[in-house]
Amino acid sequence: MKEETSNNSRRKFLKSVGITVSAAGVVSGFSLLGAAKAAAQEPGETVNLLTQDGQLVQVDKNQLRPTVTGPLTELQKRGREGIAGKSFVMVIDLSKCRNARKCMVACQNHHQLRPDQHHINVLQMQDAEHTAPYFMPKPCQHCDNPPCTKVCPVDATFKRQDGIVLIDNERCIGCRFCIAACPYSARIFQWTEPKDAEKYKNLTYNIEANVPQKKGTVSKCLFSADRLRENKLPSCVSSCPNGVYYFGDQNEDAVTNGTTHETVRFSKLIEENAGYTLMPELGTKPRVYYLPPKNRAFKFNGDLLNEENLH
Amino acid sequence: MKNAIKIIASLFLLFAFSATVTMAQKWSAPASAKKKQNPYEASTKNISSGKKIYNINCKSCHGDATMGNMLPLQPVAPSDLGSQAFLMQTDGEIYYKVNKGNGAMPTFEKTLSDEDKWMVITYLRSFDQNKKASKKIAEVINPEVSDVRILLDINKEDKRIIANLSGLTKKGDRVALQGIELSVKVKRNFGYLDISGDDAYTNEKGEVSVQFPKDLPADREGHVNLLVKVTDDAYYGEVIVDRIASLGIPTNPVNPLDERAMWGTRANAPIWIILSYVGGVICIWGVIFLVLFQLIQLPKLAKNKE
Repeated sequence: MKEETSNNSRRKFLKSVGITVSAAGVVSGFSLLGAAKAAAQEPGETVNLLTQDGQLVQVDKNQLRPTVTGPLTELQKRGREGIAGKSFVMVIDLSKCRNARKCMVACQNHHQLRPDQHHINVLQMQDAEHTAPYFMPKPCQHCDNPPCTKVCPVDATFKRQDGIVLIDNERCIGCRFCIAACPYSARIFQWTEPKDAEKYKNLTYNIEANVPQKKGTVSKCLFSADRLRENKLPSCVSSCPNGVYYFGDQNEDAVTNGTTHETVRFSKLIEENAGYTLMPELGTKPRVYYLPPKNRAFKFNGDLLNEENLH
Repeated sequence: MKNAIKIIASLFLLFAFSATVTMAQKWSAPASAKKKQNPYEASTKNISSGKKIYNINCKSCHGDATMGNMLPLQPVAPSDLGSQAFLMQTDGEIYYKVNKGNGAMPTFEKTLSDEDKWMVITYLRSFDQNKKASKKIAEVINPEVSDVRILLDINKEDKRIIANLSGLTKKGDRVALQGIELSVKVKRNFGYLDISGDDAYTNEKGEVSVQFPKDLPADREGHVNLLVKVTDDAYYGEVIVDRIASLGIPTNPVNPLDERAMWGTRANAPIWIILSYVGGVICIWGVIFLVLFQLIQLPKLAKNKE
């Protein structure tokens, strides 16, 4: 008697499982290949389609298959792989910076940021009481040993083969672990609806520019990865009026100045000017190098209330 | 009434505009600075090196000299440095202004060396129509030629590039052109790296010999894109020759993703992390399941004892 009941229950269970599974199969079958299957039932019928190069063609309905990947995933796949054979570096010459802030404006325009949000920020520095103050632009350092990607629980932020550290706003869950992990405070969080959210809502998300920005996710400097793909210098580099930035490929040992477009040897530039990286003791191996603010072209006395210092 | 407002408004605009213009013109150098003389002679060499420095440091705002293609900045556009109105000033006056800067014009006191600044002034002075004396003094007079060509001879063993500049005379002879500056450049990702050195002027054979840097990295096969051109287009128009040569050091780009690292994504995590994590999960769940299994077994054990 006891055996029977247990048998019954097992049968019932199996029955219900079977029904659910087959129902799920039927539903998914219809939704995934619905169009193609429906077409397959009426052989010989054709449809008019416009090809990518603008030609109108007739295709047998039986040949139709739903596309598997959309433009979004294609962009994301490309963005995750990076540009093969490159190893991008930036050199910032502090002796030339005079706080023109054109880099910040160009960056905010490119990445659809509000004026108070910074992928790159020009800081006013004074290392000790009796040392000379100076201006220091600070983008993401694109570390070769990035602490931020280590802590991401969902693989949203990652390093690519060309050395650039990116974040996928479609994956980001907004936990902000990466913001806490970054010793350079290079990342920002979109607390509110981003700038021009309404205007750009139909734009396909581009992982290489972080646009359109997404509320509740983290955003960061990307070395303008979308511009690099077209062999253009990053927005901040090419907008600087004072020749502060050099950018190039370390594999080629050459960096190009964004203002003068003069190309110089990267190793020589660093060697001759005593180039350094920020917080080397952390072992993060930054890809952004600084040249010390020696022989400055523009004086800054540290008094920010003085209008002379705000160029 | 409306007309009156319009007139007043336009008068006001006119006044404001003329005010900015006069402001721009007011920038003058002290008398002592005006007297300063250019210590460098107006040789072809100095003029062309001045042009190089001009193109790097001044052209982005001022445009090409005499072309009037400067940036349209507001309220005062940068002046055309090749115009006669500008060249009315003395060398010392220009030198002073380059040093000091004014408004949007940055100071070049520290960013350019004295020699560089005088070279730029020498270059600008070459556009001056009133100063015949300081006009280009060609060091060597080349015959009038057409069909100017650069021939490249690349010695792979000691990495030397020998460029030969020649032109066709009216008689149909090919002659070497002397004293002309050539630029030897290597293509890099965002621009051209100039490797021609300080003294890349053709000798009496029309040759320039340039040492390719012995430590310059190239692609996997060591190929580099070379570009040799006559530096100053004013002589013979644009004379360019490019060549792919295997002169660089073959470099295999390192892909940081080939290595498993802590900073890698899930797919690139170190093996020991994956093993210890999976091991930990299996152990913990194993213990939980063991305890549950024992609990289920308890009533059965009790029955068996009865």
